[in-house]
Amino acid sequence: MTAVQPGASGTLASLIGAISGASLAETGSTVTVKVPAAELEGAVHHLAAAGARLADLFAAGQDPTVLRLVWALDAERQYLVMQSDVSGQEYPPLSDVAPAAFAEECEIYEQFGIRPASGKPLNRVALPPHAGPDFPRLGHQPPQAPAEIHAPHTVGGHAFEFPFGPVRQVGVESLYYGLVTSGEEIVDLYLFTWHKHRGLEWRLRGQAPRDALFHVERTEGLSAIAVSWAFAAAVEAALGVAPPPAAQRTRAVALELERLYNHAAATAALCQATGLTVGQSAAEIALERLLRLNAAAFGHRYLFGVMDVGGVRRAPEEAALRAGLRGARSELRRAADALASTNSFLDRLEAAGIVTGEQARRLGLVGPVARAAGLAIDARKDQPAQPYLEFPPAVAIRGSGDVLARFQVMQDEAAESVRLIGDLLDAGAGAGTASLPGAGGSGLGWAESSRGEALAWVALDADGRISRARLRPASVRNWRGFDDACRSQNVFTDIPIIEASFWLTVAGTAR
Amino acid sequence: MTLWFLRGLRRGVVTTRYPARPDDSAADLPTPPVFRAEDLDQALADRLVAVCPSHALRRDADALVFDVGACTACGRCQEAAPGAVTSSGEFELAATSRGHLVKRIPLRREARA
Repeated sequence: MTAVQPGASGTLASLIGAISGASLAETGSTVTVKVPAAELEGAVHHLAAAGARLADLFAAGQDPTVLRLVWALDAERQYLVMQSDVSGQEYPPLSDVAPAAFAEECEIYEQFGIRPASGKPLNRVALPPHAGPDFPRLGHQPPQAPAEIHAPHTVGGHAFEFPFGPVRQVGVESLYYGLVTSGEEIVDLYLFTWHKHRGLEWRLRGQAPRDALFHVERTEGLSAIAVSWAFAAAVEAALGVAPPPAAQRTRAVALELERLYNHAAATAALCQATGLTVGQSAAEIALERLLRLNAAAFGHRYLFGVMDVGGVRRAPEEAALRAGLRGARSELRRAADALASTNSFLDRLEAAGIVTGEQARRLGLVGPVARAAGLAIDARKDQPAQPYLEFPPAVAIRGSGDVLARFQVMQDEAAESVRLIGDLLDAGAGAGTASLPGAGGSGLGWAESSRGEALAWVALDADGRISRARLRPASVRNWRGFDDACRSQNVFTDIPIIEASFWLTVAGTAR
Repeated sequence: MTLWFLRGLRRGVVTTRYPARPDDSAADLPTPPVFRAEDLDQALADRLVAVCPSHALRRDADALVFDVGACTACGRCQEAAPGAVTSSGEFELAATSRGHLVKRIPLRREARA
C-alpha cells in the first residue's frame, strides 16, 4: 500500500523540528528526513519517547553506508524514514535506546561490516558460519565473525542444554532450537534461523521490478500477496504511479483470502500441538477448502501470480469465490466454535506463551501477536491506503497476551476478512495495471499480512532497475518475541503450541 | 482399519487406486506448459528462455530443452507465446529417473514468417 496523505505537518513537523540537524529530504508518499550520524542516537531517543514505533532498520550502499530507520507514526497515520550516512566502521548504538533494533544491528554487521559503537557482542542472525569473503552479501564482510554467544554451551547449576533441530518433523521448516532447561521448565531458548538463508535481497539487485516479483512472492510463500503487495507499492511510490481502483480491490480480496487460509492453518496447527486430532482434521478440511477456493478464484492455491507492479495480473472468478467462501468459512467457524467449548484445548492455551503489551511494544512486534497483547496496531487501519480507506477493517484485539488471546484474535479476523471480501466484490474487483515509467527513485510500501505488518523499501536506478530492495515480512519482527513468550513459565510441551499461535515462517526471516 | 485389513487379505492388494476418484479441483491448478514444436523457431525459443524465471528452459542448438522438474508453472512462457505454449493440465509428475523430466523439443529450422 502507499499512503495518500503525504506531507510533513502538525505533530510530524514538530517531531522532525525537534531533531537536531534533521533536514527534510522528501515529502512524497512517505516523509524522509536526513539526520547526521552524530545526532542519530538523540533522534532515535526523541522519536521513541514520542511513541513512534521503530518498524525497520536496514542499510544500503558502501562508503558511505546509508542507514535507514523506518518509523511508524500510527497516531499520525504516517511512516517516517530517517536516513543517515555512516562513513566509518561504526555508528551510534541504537538498540540501547530502541531494543527492537538489535536483530537488525546484527544483520547489518553481517551484511555490511559496520557495527554499533557500543562494542557489545552481535549475534549471528542471517548468514551461515561458512560465509567467507566470496559469499554473496550486500556490502563488506565484517572484520570479525559475529559472536557465537548462542552457540551450544555448557550451562551451570542444574540446567542443561537440549539442542533440537534444525531438521524437524516432516513438513516443518528448518529451525534450530537451543533449549536450556532444568528438567521440564524452559529456562532459556534461542533460535538459529540462518540455515535457510537464500540471499534474496542480494539476488534482486539489477532486476527489473516486474521480473523481481517472482522472487519476491517466494520470500515468504505463505504471505505471497502481502510481501509482493508491499514490494509493488514501494516501486509504485518510487515511480509515482497508482494502480486502478478495481485492481486495488482485487489486491485486498487476495490479501484477505491469504489471511483466512493462514488463520485456518494456524488453528489446525494449534490442534495438532494440543493432540486434538478430530479438531485438527476439522480445521484442515476448512484449510483445504480455502486453498481450493484460492485456486478457483485466482488460479493458484497460494495465490502466486496475482500481484503485478502497478496493479494485478488477474481478476478473481467472482462467482466461484462467492459460492465457495460461505461454505469454507462455515467449516472453519464450526471447528473454531467446537474448540472454544473444549476444555482440554482451552486449558492448554490459557496462560501459555504470554507476551505482555510492554514486551510487544519494546520488541516492535506486530500482527495478531501484538493485538492479542492489547496493542491495536494494524497497517490497514493505522496506515490506510486504498482500498482500506473505503473499506476499513474492524481491528480484533485482546489483552491477556497468551495463546488463547491469539487464537481468539485470529478467529475474529477470519470473520472480518469474509465480510471485507464480500464488500470488496460488491464494489467491483477487476484486473488492470498502470503503465510504469522507466525512471529511478525510491519508495516505501506496506501491507498487513496475516502475521502483521509487511514492509518493503525499494531504490531504482535511472534505468528503472533495482539497486537495493529491502524486504521485511512480519516474521522478521515476531520471531524476536518468540523466545520471550516461551520463557514465561512454560514447559517443553508448550513450545509447539506457542509456535503455532505465532504462526511465523522461517523463510520469511531467513530470506 | 479392520475393513482395510480384511479387504487386503481377500484381494491380495494393500493399497487403494490412485486417485481413488477424480478430483475436480485439479482443473484449477497451474500446470507446466506443453510446446507446439511446429510453432517454435530459434528466436521464439530464445524469448521463452529469457522469460523463464526458474531456468527450466534453455536452448541447445536446434532444440528447446525443457526441465519439467525445475518448472514452477508460473505461466510466463504462456503469456509470452500463447499460441505456441499451452497449459498441459498435467500435474502428476512423478518419474523413476530425474532425466525423464527433461524434454527436448526440436525447433523449426527456418524462422516463422
